[in-house]
This record gives sequence, structure tokens and C-alpha cells, in this order.
Amino acid sequence: MLGFGLSTRYGQAVHLVLVPGLAVSACLTLVGESVASAAVTALGLGAAVFMSSLLLCRKIDAASEEKCQLDEQLIQSQKLAAMGELSSGIAHEINTPLAIISQESEWLRYLLKSLTTAPIDPDKAKEFAESLDQISLQVERCREITHGMLNFARKRDAVLQDTDINQLLEDMVLWVEKEVQRNNCAIHRAYDPKLPLVATDSPLLRQVVLNLLNNAAQAVERDGEITVATTRTGSNAVSIEVRDNGCGIPKENLDKIFNPFFTTKAPGKGTGLGLSISLSIVARLGGALTASSQPGEFTSFVLSLPIRRSAT
Amino acid sequence: MLETIKTLVVDDDERFASNMVKLLRTQDIDASVAPNGAVALEILAREAIDVVLLDMKMPAPSGVETMRRIRDLGSTAQVIFLTGHASVDEALAGLNLGAFDYVLKPASTEMIVGKIKLAYAKKQKLSRKETEKGDPA
Repeated sequence: MLGFGLSTRYGQAVHLVLVPGLAVSACLTLVGESVASAAVTALGLGAAVFMSSLLLCRKIDAASEEKCQLDEQLIQSQKLAAMGELSSGIAHEINTPLAIISQESEWLRYLLKSLTTAPIDPDKAKEFAESLDQISLQVERCREITHGMLNFARKRDAVLQDTDINQLLEDMVLWVEKEVQRNNCAIHRAYDPKLPLVATDSPLLRQVVLNLLNNAAQAVERDGEITVATTRTGSNAVSIEVRDNGCGIPKENLDKIFNPFFTTKAPGKGTGLGLSISLSIVARLGGALTASSQPGEFTSFVLSLPIRRSAT
Repeated sequence: MLETIKTLVVDDDERFASNMVKLLRTQDIDASVAPNGAVALEILAREAIDVVLLDMKMPAPSGVETMRRIRDLGSTAQVIFLTGHASVDEALAGLNLGAFDYVLKPASTEMIVGKIKLAYAKKQKLSRKETEKGDPA
């Protein structure tokens, strides 16, 4: 009769010896032996199977580390994919200031021509100054956009810092608002003015919020409404709600929306990874992400976060 | 005598639109502004506009929707999309509705004036064809 048990005492070599015909109680556990000498002993006893728990633990550790690295790559890819969804809007936002800068420089060149043939006209001098001011303003407009994009895309290790959640939300809402307003949609804010600072990782949280806002914008399409609200929900918890009055999520899909690659969007319109990655980010931040919906009426995502993480 | 080309610049970015008008006037183009599609349609209904420079991304009605309504209005103005947004789908949608061309911002005034003159030439040609159809032999 074969019997076996597995001790997973990590860091110490615990070798399991399986001997055909021996009951469990008679199986030997060789503690502290090197793998090689334990194997020799086991084979000498006629062992049918020799498993070293140390080797198994090392393999589990290596697999776990590989999974962590893959998770990081996935989060980074999804971040870039989320940015890709806004890229056409971003291109417009940068191309328009560039176009104005180009126009201002053409106008300055035109004004310069008249200055070489006549005394300086005070009105023309004023226009000159105005054009130069506009160039600076439009460059600043572009800088804000590109720096915002770089901050978002930059890969960082999770760092907990006191964060003004309302301001973080407002930064993301402003980004998405420009897109949704073109479809006659409105974003309403209901921020708790007394919300305390929350110790969290801002870039990761921004990624989750942007994901939820993108989904809400796609759900409402035209003439819809999105509401973003914050509340304190306990002595050590705050919650963020992103609610839309779009098409809603059918009951049979509600359990699946956090599954990787689950999507109801047309091919090429979404990776199906946004919510699954958002869920894993929120878990990493010590929080929770839940969804509720009534088809044809609303969908609501509630993200809850601890104000302070307890030491683990 | 050189005919003045009447051009309407439709763009929700006020500074861009006013700069465009200023620069076109230095090239003897008779240009005016509409801040959105709705105002553009009002102007097209009462004035004889030759060429429309139309932004793609505007609050409703969008550039493509405005294009659609310009055609429904029966306007003979030639439309050039002048936009900072580079979506192939929207470019195709505009061209399929009969837009003359699609230009990506930023673009030099010289290039835009070149397109306006070509669009105007097409309008004149179409208008002559209509006149010839109407004349008895």
C-alpha cells in the first residue's frame, strides 16, 4: 500500500520517501539531509517515488515570481491600451495648439513685412505681442498633455503616498470629459469635500479610474450621463463610485465582467482586460471593486479603498 | 477681374478660427467664421458660400453630421475637412458624403489656399454643367 504526505516546511530540506508496501506511518522523513544523500537513502530502501519538497518549493517560488513579472507586463500593456483608446482625442488636442502656433508665426511674418516698409504702428506692435503670448500659451497647452501622458505611461513600483482622491478623480474626469462632450454627454461630480487623504499608489489608481470612466463613456455613447462620487464609508475606508445611465450589463454577464478577455465590445474595440487588471490593481491597493447594473437603466462600479493600510 | 472666393471657416476653437480668417484675407480670400455646425448651416442657408473649411471634432452637430446637413440643404459649397483628428474611418465618412478633401492640422496657409482654389474651380465647373443642362439646345 502506498501512502504519502507532503511537508512544505520551506527553507529546510524535507524529503518524502515513498516505499511500495509500506504504510504511511512507516514512510521515512529525512529531515536536513541534502537532496543527493536523501535520494540515495530512498533508492536504497526501494523507494518508488522520491520527491524533494525543497525542490518543489523552489519551483513554486520561481513560477510565482514569473507570474508577478507577467502581471506587471500585463498592467503596463493595459495602461498603454487604455491610452490608445484616447489617442485620437489626444492627437486632436495636440494638433490644434500646434496649428495655432503655426498660424501665429505666419501672422508674425506677415506683420514683419509691413514693419520693414513703414514706421512701427502701435496697433501692429500690440498684435505682435499678442501673437507671441499665444505661442507660449499653446506650447503650454501641449506640454500639459504630453507630460500628463508620460506620467500615466511611466512604469513605477507601487508606492503608497497620501493622495487627494477628489483631485485625482477630477484630473481623470477632465481628460475624459473633452471626449464625451462631443457626444453631448455630461459628467456630474459628487465629491465629498471632507474626504481624508488616502495612502495609495496614485498612478495605479489613475489607471483604474480611467478604465472605469472609459467604460462608462462607451456605455452611454450619445446624450448620456456619468456621475462620479466619493464618500467616506467607515473609520478606515473611502469609496469611489462611477455610475452611468447607459445600456447596462445583462445579469448573465455581471459575474463575468472581471474575467480576463471577457468583452462584449466589437472586435478591435477593447482588449477585455481592463476590468480584470483593474480588479487586480485594486486588490494590490488593499481595496475592493464591485459592480451592479440594471440593463437599460444604469451601471455602477464602486471602488473601496482603505485610508491606511494595516501592517501585514 | 479675379473673383473673390467666399469661404466659411467652421471651428469651435475661437483662436484657430479667427487666425484662419485673418490669414485667408491676406491672400484675398473673403473669409468668415462659424463657431459650430448649427451656425454654419444658418449662414449657408442665407449666403452664397463657395468653400467651407470644416472641423471634424466639434460638439453636436459633429463635422460629419454638419457635412450631411449641408448636402441635405442642397448647398453647392465645396467642403474641405480641416481637422486635428486623424481617424481614417471619419475621413472616409466625410469623403463618401461628398467632401472635396481632408486636410490634417497643422497645415500651412499656402497649402490650404491651394486646396480652396481647387475646390472653387470644381464648384465653378459643376455650376457650368448645371447651367448647360438647363439651357435649351
